[in-house]
Amino acid sequence: MEQMLGTGLDRAVILFYFAIVMGFGAYFGKYSKTTTDYFFGGRRFSWWLITISIVATGIGSHSFVKYTTKAYQYGFSSTMTYMNDWFFMPLFMFGWLPIIYYSKVRSIPEYFERRFNPTARYLATFMILLYMIGYIAIQFLTLATALYKIYGIPLMLTVLLIALATTIYMHYGGQTSVIFTDLIQGFVLIFAGVLLFFLGIQFLGMNTDMSGFKAFWTFLSPENKLPLANFNSPPDFNFVGIFWQDGIAGSIGFLFLNQGLIMRFMAAKSVDEGRKAAAFNVLIILPISAIVVSNAGWIGRAIANGVPGIIPENVVANDVFVIVTNIISSPGVFGFIIAALCAALMSTADTLVNASSAIIVNDIYRPLTKKSKSEEEQLHFARMASIIVKIIAVILVPFFNSFDSIYEAHGWFHSTFTPPLVVAVFMGIFWKRFTSAAVIATFIFGAFLMILGQFNPELISPFSHGIELRPGRGYSYIGALYNLVVCAGVGILVTLFSKPDQDNKLDGLTVFDVHKLKFLYKGSEPNETKGSDIIVDWKEDKKLKDGVRFSQNDMKKMKASQGDLVYLQDARLWLGGLKSIHSVFEKPHNEDGVVYIGSKQIDHGQFIKKNSLKAEKEM
Amino acid sequence: MTFQETWLPFIYLYGAGGLAFFLGLILIIKTKALRLDYFKHKKWLGVLLYGLFFYMFIHSMFIFLAINS
Repeated sequence: MEQMLGTGLDRAVILFYFAIVMGFGAYFGKYSKTTTDYFFGGRRFSWWLITISIVATGIGSHSFVKYTTKAYQYGFSSTMTYMNDWFFMPLFMFGWLPIIYYSKVRSIPEYFERRFNPTARYLATFMILLYMIGYIAIQFLTLATALYKIYGIPLMLTVLLIALATTIYMHYGGQTSVIFTDLIQGFVLIFAGVLLFFLGIQFLGMNTDMSGFKAFWTFLSPENKLPLANFNSPPDFNFVGIFWQDGIAGSIGFLFLNQGLIMRFMAAKSVDEGRKAAAFNVLIILPISAIVVSNAGWIGRAIANGVPGIIPENVVANDVFVIVTNIISSPGVFGFIIAALCAALMSTADTLVNASSAIIVNDIYRPLTKKSKSEEEQLHFARMASIIVKIIAVILVPFFNSFDSIYEAHGWFHSTFTPPLVVAVFMGIFWKRFTSAAVIATFIFGAFLMILGQFNPELISPFSHGIELRPGRGYSYIGALYNLVVCAGVGILVTLFSKPDQDNKLDGLTVFDVHKLKFLYKGSEPNETKGSDIIVDWKEDKKLKDGVRFSQNDMKKMKASQGDLVYLQDARLWLGGLKSIHSVFEKPHNEDGVVYIGSKQIDHGQFIKKNSLKAEKEM
Repeated sequence: MTFQETWLPFIYLYGAGGLAFFLGLILIIKTKALRLDYFKHKKWLGVLLYGLFFYMFIHSMFIFLAINS
């Protein structure tokens, strides 16, 4: 039997952490009353809550290992993929985000049906599901590989236990559980990363005759300090290839196609809150995340250069994370860092499982069931779907385990499923003329040409930017440029030779209609007059169904009219919108400082009698 | 260190990426998805430009530091 890593204390810390997260997630199950709650958390959360929960989603369990490896080999340029997402922010924040929020699509495939036709929806459903379930399987495999070395339990049994643990807290809670557990796990991840850096600097200070930070800076070579990799070499880590694979295809995929991330933005209480969350995430959180996942590699490189003999010269690059963590941390702390790895897995997996079950319910179950089902039945099916997704992911684990490394499996996966979807969604949003026939051709012929490129690397050579072709292994990252070009080429050619779709069919589904989305969402002219937010007490009115009633004076303060949309939340702002509802202004009354709400809405908002509410007119 | 290692990746990143950024910006302004007559949207335009220059600053600063270290 292999020697187990860590001590009994480390193992206890990891188990304790799992128990805390499961309990915490299960508690939030009471906030999921409908499928909208289950998938979108009721569209009620503040930007800061969404932002922190995204940290944990963006950092997968493989991130620590993968980026530490590159950081150890190449230095600061390991951060490239975290620092190149800003280029598409204008189109995301003012194009895609308002479209998905106001058009009330529940999934990306649904957008494909509304923008194109049902065939496009089914093709997109198939590709997105394959992508996400495979991604979950890779997450399970990565963490199981680490935990199996610590607990000595067989790999597949570890995979099953991890799947079971995430099921317990997700089963009842859905998106609300995901957001709140990810909130905690986001803090854990950042703290663990910063702690690791601090311990590394301390270690360098104690083992050299310089201060820790000076030793860190001195023992990194000038090449290690460059923030971008060499333009086109070596073949397995070069700037131009990674730019096209990650900066372009990856960024568009991340912002426009990641159903999990999009559902997180749709859980925001408004489009503007979603924009704040997105901007804060890319501008502040991603650079921090880059440091969190890479710093063990930088510390390892500085130790290897400055304190020879501590890290073995023939160290396998993929083991750097565990080796460095072991060297610089004490028992218990090592357990905590591995618990952070668990946090990374659970938070990424739960988001993807929730997103996959959203797609199964919205894009397979609902279109195929002829009779309309009750919310309870749909919610039950959603919960079952999330279990099915995990079972399929567990079954796929041995397949991914057969690749030489997790990175190869991940890379193969990414480059195979992303480009056609990226081209289809991007051209769908920003090119009105892009036709239904073209999107189907992009999926089918684009994919065919991509496969052709995989088997005939000479087809990719014109796009190689001088990157060396590795015999028998082909091109790696730069293949994304070829894939994007062939998919876009097919899409453009077929569009030019096919009949344009009717203009009214595209209403509210392209960037050209964003200015009228609020009208379409509300069903009447939006009221954009700026009013004040007010604090009110609430009373129950059993006759009210969907609307709420404010006094005439309070409505004047808010500059609101009957039929306008209102957002009500518990006045304790630190709750981040957890106890809140969206509603409509109904006929006013004369009791200032009081809002009347129907029983169903009180239950939905989980309002507490003694607590006041903050009301703001939405539009 | 050669130009291939230092400034060429930077120029390529902000040349190609910058092109995507400004084309996107022009598109959302032209289609009135971002309305410059709205105060809130004007602030967002500032944030978008700030973000681009923030990343340019970080990348160029580290290239300078690496060259001079």
